[in-house]
Amino acid sequence: MTHIVCPFCGPREIGEFEFHKTLPNAGLAPFAAAYLRVDSLTLSREHWQHARGCRGWLEVHRNPSTGAVLSIRLLGTVGP
Amino acid sequence: MAASPRYSAWALLRARFAGSGYWHPLWSGRRLQEAYDVVIVGAGGHGLATAFHLARDHGVRRVAVLEKRLVGYGNVGRNTTIVRSNYLYPENHYFYEDSLRRWETLSRDLNYNVMYSPRGVVDLAISEDEFPALARRGNAMRLAGIDAELMDLAALERHCPELDTRLPRRFPIAGALVQKRGGTVRHDAVAWGYARAAAALGVDIIEDCEVTGVRASTGVAHGVETTRGYVKADRIVFATAGHTGMVGTMLGVPLPIETHLLQAMVTEPIKPLLHTVLISMFPAHGEVYVLQSDRGGIVMGGHLDGYPSFTREGRWDRMEDVVAAAVDLLPQIAGLRILRQWAGTNDQTMDGCPIIDRVRYDNVFLNAGWCYGGFKAIPASGAACAALVATGTAPDLIAPFKLSRFESGHLLDERGAGPFPVRQ
Repeated sequence: MTHIVCPFCGPREIGEFEFHKTLPNAGLAPFAAAYLRVDSLTLSREHWQHARGCRGWLEVHRNPSTGAVLSIRLLGTVGP
Repeated sequence: MAASPRYSAWALLRARFAGSGYWHPLWSGRRLQEAYDVVIVGAGGHGLATAFHLARDHGVRRVAVLEKRLVGYGNVGRNTTIVRSNYLYPENHYFYEDSLRRWETLSRDLNYNVMYSPRGVVDLAISEDEFPALARRGNAMRLAGIDAELMDLAALERHCPELDTRLPRRFPIAGALVQKRGGTVRHDAVAWGYARAAAALGVDIIEDCEVTGVRASTGVAHGVETTRGYVKADRIVFATAGHTGMVGTMLGVPLPIETHLLQAMVTEPIKPLLHTVLISMFPAHGEVYVLQSDRGGIVMGGHLDGYPSFTREGRWDRMEDVVAAAVDLLPQIAGLRILRQWAGTNDQTMDGCPIIDRVRYDNVFLNAGWCYGGFKAIPASGAACAALVATGTAPDLIAPFKLSRFESGHLLDERGAGPFPVRQ
């Protein structure tokens, strides 16, 4: 995994992006959403930010076994 | 096949005259039995140490360690070999101190040279403001009877002359917290030594045997499904740090763990340059720990890659960060070539501390979530985990590492970073 294709800027080096968090996948109750994860070898849904680029927030679906980006979309306003 | 002989100077001398027939494999191939008292999943440091202590301290007769690939192929052979107990929180420093004391005598306990080298661990302060934080940590350690020494620049220069503290740097070195009993241990030897000692006590170590599921009825597990067939077990221990998230998925239990990559690298060997372990953990500066292996290579590691991954590859720009931070500390190594680079998958918990507890079933145990601390914890973790499995009660040392702490709020958040595994 060396590049990510930002929907706004196009392909950029991974160093421009910052991983923020894994999206809740073990239920939406507060404790489960914040603390629990169901690990998968094939799909990880995450929030990233193009921090050293357009600063857009991204929802990225990746395959953590290969690093391949499965889908990516620009989010509205989310943040830490 | 004959068992490996007891090692000693006398044995070495005898072997000299006995010829090549004297040496035997450290442990010989055992056959998988149908049923065991305890089945341990994962022949890494923690699994093998738990097996060793179950057999030696608790007299558990039938113990098997099942390994998907080879003994020591996972994180026990992928770390940077550093051992230390310089933690702030009592729950952590008492536990890691117990481990450090066991490291000191481990070669004798296992009758196998694990090359414990108390060369000292130097935690650098990269600004004046970091100094009080190190002082606080050092004082907490000293109150617990652990050695810690706060050094100003002059003392640091005397202790570590290879480090030029006067170089103009963007973040000048301000001092250090030094733990002189910390140091390094040969990581492969730890896996081999525990495997040999456990096998000598009758533990079956089965390689190339992947556990694919747990067979259970209401509240009780009966055994594990493996690629070599079903194995009945009274108790099951998962010591699969690096893939514990997948164990959770297999058991149908969400865990407070994410899997992240941590990489390390080593340069070509050079003559002795660095006599201690240097650690610089100042995020803006680039996090790095650097040491010189006994073979002469400069070993370096840094922070996590920064996103969940099972690839074991490691990203290039993180490698650059680590090397830049190491060269900043030791400009002498700038011309060296990197010989090898590798990565291991980390169990990153939500508070940066491990989990040793029951999970889902009353007779299934989890030894997991080791984050950065797995290798140095092996001896203490093995002893305590074996006690928990054998007696059913967690020893005081690991009582804080229970799984329920995340829900009850008793987090051991040494970094105070919140429930973000990547920041621990």
